[in-house]
Amino acid sequence: MSGLAGQLAIMHETLGSLALAAGDAAHAQPRFGTGVGAKFDVPRLFGLIPFIPLLACALCGLCAAMKVKTKLPAAITVGCLLASFGLTIGLYAQVHANPGDFAIIHAFEWINFQWGQSEAQSLTANFSFYADSLTALWMLFVTGLATLIALYASEYMSHDVGQGYCRFFMAFSLFVFSMACLVMGDNLALLFLGWEGVGLCSYLLIGYFYKKPSAVAAAKKAFVVNRIGDLGLSLGVMLAFVQFGSLEYAEIFRKAEPFLALARDGQWQDIPWTVQLIPILLTIGAFGKSAQLPLYVWLPDAMEGPTPVSALIHAATMVTAGVYLVARMFPLFLVSEHALTIVAWGGALTALLAATIGMAQFDIKRIMAYSTVSQLGYMFCGLGVMGVMGGPAHVFTHAFFKAMLFLACGAVMHGFAGQLDLRKLSGLGKMPGWRIVTVAMFVGCINLAGVPFITAGFYSKDTILGDAFANPAMVPIGWILLITAGLTAYYTFRVFFRVFVGPAYYEPGDELHAHDDHSHDHAHANKDHGHDSHGHGHSAWQPHPPGWAINTVLILLTILSFAAIVTVFKADGWLYRMVTNSSAGAGIAADHHHKFFGFDAHAAMKVVSGIVAIAGIAVAFVLHYSGRTSAATSKADSLVPMLGPIPRWAQNKWYVDEFYHFLFVRPLWLLSVVFAAIDKVLVDGLVNVFGWVPKALAKTARPLQNGVLHDYALRMAGGVALLLLIIVLMVNRGDRTSAAASIPPTDNSIGTLPAAPAAVDPIAVSLDPIRAKAQEAVR
Amino acid sequence: MNWMLLLLLLPLAGAALVAFMPEKSARQVATLVTLLCCVPFLAMVGQFDWARSGVDQFQTTAVWFEPLGLSFRLAADSITMLLVGLTVLLGPICVVASYTAISERQKTYYAWLLVLQTAMTGVFLARDMVLFYVFFEFTLVPMFVLISLYGSTNRKYAAVKFFLYTFTGSILTLAGLAYVALEAARANGFWSFDFEALKTAARGMTFDQQKWVFIALMVGFAVKVPVFPFHTWLPLAHTEAPTAGSVVLAGVLLKLGTYGIFRFALQFTPVAAYEYAPALAVLGVVGIIYAGLICWVQSDIKKLVAYSSVSHLGFCVIGLFALNGVGLSGSVMYMINHGLSTGALFLLIGMIYERYHTREFKKLGGLASQMPVWSTFMVFFAMASVGLPGLNGFISEFMCLLGTFQAGGTTWTEFGMIPGRFGDASLLPGATFGNLGPWFAAFAAVGMVVTAIYILYMVGKIVWGEFKAPGHSAHAHNHAKGHGHDNHHGAAHADHAHGPLPRDLSGREIAVLVPLAVACLWLGLYPSPVLRTLEEPVAMVVTQVRADVLRNAQAALPADPQTADAHTPALLQQAATITEPGRR
Amino acid sequence: MNTLFCTLAQSGWPEPMPTGTLFHYLVISAAMFVIGLIGFVTRRNLIIMFLCTELMFQAAGLSLIAFSRFHLNHTGETFVIFVLTVAAAEAALALALVVLLFRRKESLDAERWAELRG
Repeated sequence: MSGLAGQLAIMHETLGSLALAAGDAAHAQPRFGTGVGAKFDVPRLFGLIPFIPLLACALCGLCAAMKVKTKLPAAITVGCLLASFGLTIGLYAQVHANPGDFAIIHAFEWINFQWGQSEAQSLTANFSFYADSLTALWMLFVTGLATLIALYASEYMSHDVGQGYCRFFMAFSLFVFSMACLVMGDNLALLFLGWEGVGLCSYLLIGYFYKKPSAVAAAKKAFVVNRIGDLGLSLGVMLAFVQFGSLEYAEIFRKAEPFLALARDGQWQDIPWTVQLIPILLTIGAFGKSAQLPLYVWLPDAMEGPTPVSALIHAATMVTAGVYLVARMFPLFLVSEHALTIVAWGGALTALLAATIGMAQFDIKRIMAYSTVSQLGYMFCGLGVMGVMGGPAHVFTHAFFKAMLFLACGAVMHGFAGQLDLRKLSGLGKMPGWRIVTVAMFVGCINLAGVPFITAGFYSKDTILGDAFANPAMVPIGWILLITAGLTAYYTFRVFFRVFVGPAYYEPGDELHAHDDHSHDHAHANKDHGHDSHGHGHSAWQPHPPGWAINTVLILLTILSFAAIVTVFKADGWLYRMVTNSSAGAGIAADHHHKFFGFDAHAAMKVVSGIVAIAGIAVAFVLHYSGRTSAATSKADSLVPMLGPIPRWAQNKWYVDEFYHFLFVRPLWLLSVVFAAIDKVLVDGLVNVFGWVPKALAKTARPLQNGVLHDYALRMAGGVALLLLIIVLMVNRGDRTSAAASIPPTDNSIGTLPAAPAAVDPIAVSLDPIRAKAQEAVR
Repeated sequence: MNWMLLLLLLPLAGAALVAFMPEKSARQVATLVTLLCCVPFLAMVGQFDWARSGVDQFQTTAVWFEPLGLSFRLAADSITMLLVGLTVLLGPICVVASYTAISERQKTYYAWLLVLQTAMTGVFLARDMVLFYVFFEFTLVPMFVLISLYGSTNRKYAAVKFFLYTFTGSILTLAGLAYVALEAARANGFWSFDFEALKTAARGMTFDQQKWVFIALMVGFAVKVPVFPFHTWLPLAHTEAPTAGSVVLAGVLLKLGTYGIFRFALQFTPVAAYEYAPALAVLGVVGIIYAGLICWVQSDIKKLVAYSSVSHLGFCVIGLFALNGVGLSGSVMYMINHGLSTGALFLLIGMIYERYHTREFKKLGGLASQMPVWSTFMVFFAMASVGLPGLNGFISEFMCLLGTFQAGGTTWTEFGMIPGRFGDASLLPGATFGNLGPWFAAFAAVGMVVTAIYILYMVGKIVWGEFKAPGHSAHAHNHAKGHGHDNHHGAAHADHAHGPLPRDLSGREIAVLVPLAVACLWLGLYPSPVLRTLEEPVAMVVTQVRADVLRNAQAALPADPQTADAHTPALLQQAATITEPGRR
Repeated sequence: MNTLFCTLAQSGWPEPMPTGTLFHYLVISAAMFVIGLIGFVTRRNLIIMFLCTELMFQAAGLSLIAFSRFHLNHTGETFVIFVLTVAAAEAALALALVVLLFRRKESLDAERWAELRG
């Protein structure tokens, strides 16, 4: 409880500082150019922000090794994250005091390598942190939300206390470390470390219920799809290095300055295509991590993970890493003629597509997942249309309300044994103990739907829409987003009207909470029976409403989602300055003022998007609330036949997964099989041919070795005879030649015995004295 | 005290000792000896002058056979130190990991393992070509024995294939080296097999000569690495070898090939290496993707990891042929890192095999619930293998790719001699000398995705999911090498019945894995000290290659005096500035 | 070819070969050799085969001695003494082997041993 008190105090402090900042509008003049100001110093203490969660990770690992069976890992994690959050506030204060400037906090050397004098001959990527307002903005909600969600998870995961609990919080803390490296790193390599690190944690946490095949598959899918994005990112990083000779932001931004000037004058042809390619490659990475077309397919599946994970990683923080990358690298995006257009169109199409899928789903967590994909599309649009504030602002507000929506869904899932089908739950608000969840859900829904004037989500979304319509080149995107806004309002309130209001009804889900080692087998055994009743008694199954930790977190998030209005409701408010005082501020110069039917786009959007949101909610009200008497059906069902196959297609996610499977996965697998066959037959076969040649030769000679002694003897005799024959023939020829040369036939040639008396035998001659002696001796 | 000589001879003496000790104490003696090897190595680390890491130190020379100029010449630079360090680290790990796996003919086993260590250390320390070759080939003998006596079912075939294949390749390497020695003797008037003398002679050869020497050298080294079409012996040898054999094979023996490329192919025949870099890099890239995809459809876990070695070493090869600082040092780092992570993966698979006597994906699964500690290590090392930043694999993979990307050859345009391979200097100002370029890196980087696919496939199959294992029982594990010695079973087990292995890892097994894990983390999070030791040797190689290629290109300049005049001074200036190794 | 028919006495050795010529010795030697060879090839009994080899041996020895006498030096004789010694040793060994082989298969038939078949 003391942790909670401390946390509340710090929350208070944040709110105070936010309010302070909001009231201090003319504090700093936004910078132009690369948005990078001078360097200032901050205490090295702030370098600990990422490492405190790492410590928590290590301690949780220790807990796992010591087989701790209490909630100690949660306490450690929450404590460490809180400390990290506290430091982040301190860092924010430092950054706030130096608007537009940046600090570099050097922790330790990572890769530092130089093999020659020229600039291209060194590679530096240290564990150094880049602190400017963009960093601070991201870190505030990353560490803040991580603390809250860790607290939530301490209760949510309580059925897994033991190994699983330690494992969960290990990965959770490691995630915060990685995310902090991603956001704070002062170079692209450290960003990449964080980038892949969050990918790993996402993999581990999606696959947390590792006995479920679907969870394992989802985890693998997430990692591999992300890797495809990372491929683009890493190529972008390399290209940036080769182009600018450095991986460090400060250096890259400095070197990009001349190109930026060219870009501002529209002299695209003077900017080398390699420079223009960098942001496009980075975009591939961003689209992978932030689940945009065509790489969005992993995120909905990622909902297999425990809900706190979905809330933190797959809604609030990790998936915004792509947006962060674009914002951080905004100067580079500006020097590319097409990069931002790609970003905007990718975002817009994803937003629309995901919204259409979200409308047809029945699993409320999946609906939220698709809405996340959709909202991420908005954020990319916000940056892509060269509005400065929209993207990051929507990231910030979305983080709070979407986390809250997920946590509310999680509370439902937790209380109803894994039930997430909106056709099997209804009227939760009327059940005892579910009021806070319902209120939180409602607040989340109005934010997501963008109910005008009273929600932060409205302001941030409105900024994006306004920016889109203000940019003459991006008006089609504005229309797409406007349509999406209506769809969003509809599917959001579809969930709310179906699940939280209306007649009270529930069916428990088919899953136990017990996913830990002891009882998991039972849980699976029961799966076949449909409704699970194990561990809760057979007949008297009761939903159990959330406890204090979940409720506290939901209340805090409700407050925060409203508080976030303070940061965004003015066009040049706190968030605007947080963004424009950083490298993302480079886009200010490209401010557009295109009119929306003769009105100022931003002002017009305030009205139009508000109307659209209300209309969406109204449609949802009519179709899913008014006159609904059962959980399973509503008026919308009667509309379905009119639309033909479209609802079915949307429900099946437009068959994108199947399409990818047949277009990429299958062929690749077939290719692998072919390669394996080639390897066995052709490559290894060729090697074996080399082995076979001597072997085959030996085989032809082998029958000779028949083991029959007489055959050997005969062959030997034959051989000798042959040899003799050859010798005789040779001798005969030798005789002829020697005769022709008139050499006396008494030479040493074989076979012709010397005519002893006539010839002078050299041996005989040499033996003559001995012979004489012998003769004498005989006499 | 000559620590280096001690380091070299200690395992050999240990092997003799093991041979004369009773069977039962063989493994204790082997453990002790391999651990003792750390002492001379640490003493060397202490005495090594790291500021001059590119210079051969601890020079030890003894005349071996004077008329032919043979000498017993040993020395160490930082690359040697790193690779010897890897060998010394893996020594005790291999021995300790074999305690339960090897239950028969222990004396022979540990003696040969120790002999192998001497041979491997010798390869890295040798500075005389003949000595190098003797050690290089001598590594085959212990490995042959280890595979053919202690391997699995198909061990005889695998051992013969391994021996003959690599031996055939090495013969050509020998021919190449002999030719260089002949050239050196012709130039000097006396025989010498000293590396430096040979290098000087080889660099003086014409391009045509260099070309053939390079090809001859590369055949042997490419088989050893193994580079793409020459790799088929490796999966076979890995699958059949005992665990420790696989660890040494992946950890050190494959590095003999890359080390050879670094030491000979790049330094003796720099111009040919430059000219043929694209061809070799293509083989490397093809290997990365081809072997990676083959991994995906394997049914045997060990075979998957074996093919992953082929895929991984493709990165190492392209890094080498990037011929720039980042690529070369990344490649050297790759040698170390691959030894650590893949070695650990083989150990982990061996541990599973000892428990369940199978390595089939079909028969195993969901080990996380039964063996959480093992699974933790498995995921850890799998991630190291995938190249997750923060672990060792990333540093080297990233540097190899970056080096390849950078090696665009753009420096040439300022002389107007050789057009840049992928555009002109203004396009990529940060590009360095080299003959590869972004396209190579881009295709090689696809390997990142492929690696993720097959490693996660492996992890997903055996670590996650529902528990599945043949028989489900965790006892009667004395049959760990069941396939190998069916006819000895009865007798052997009466004498060497080890207690049943615990369900999860034993303390011994954890102790085997922890040093590797620590090394992986260290090299992943704080590689800077190691990287810095590589600066100087790498700078020297890069400088040499550049100077030679420049000289060669200059010789090929048109005879037109005007053009020659216009270019020569700049060229010479360029050559002069780059002959000094880079300094901070 | 006339040299083949000259008497050994012509060589001037103190005790010239009184009766035969080199030709006769060689003919006998060749005959012995051929008999031995034919016997070795045709017979299947190990002992007979062994005797046949001995016969060939002695045929070679005989021609050596004949040549030795013809050339009036001792080289050939020396050879023959060596050959005889070795043959004796080998005979002992071979007979022992034959005995062992017989014990194995209760037969002296050479055809029954074909273990070296490739």
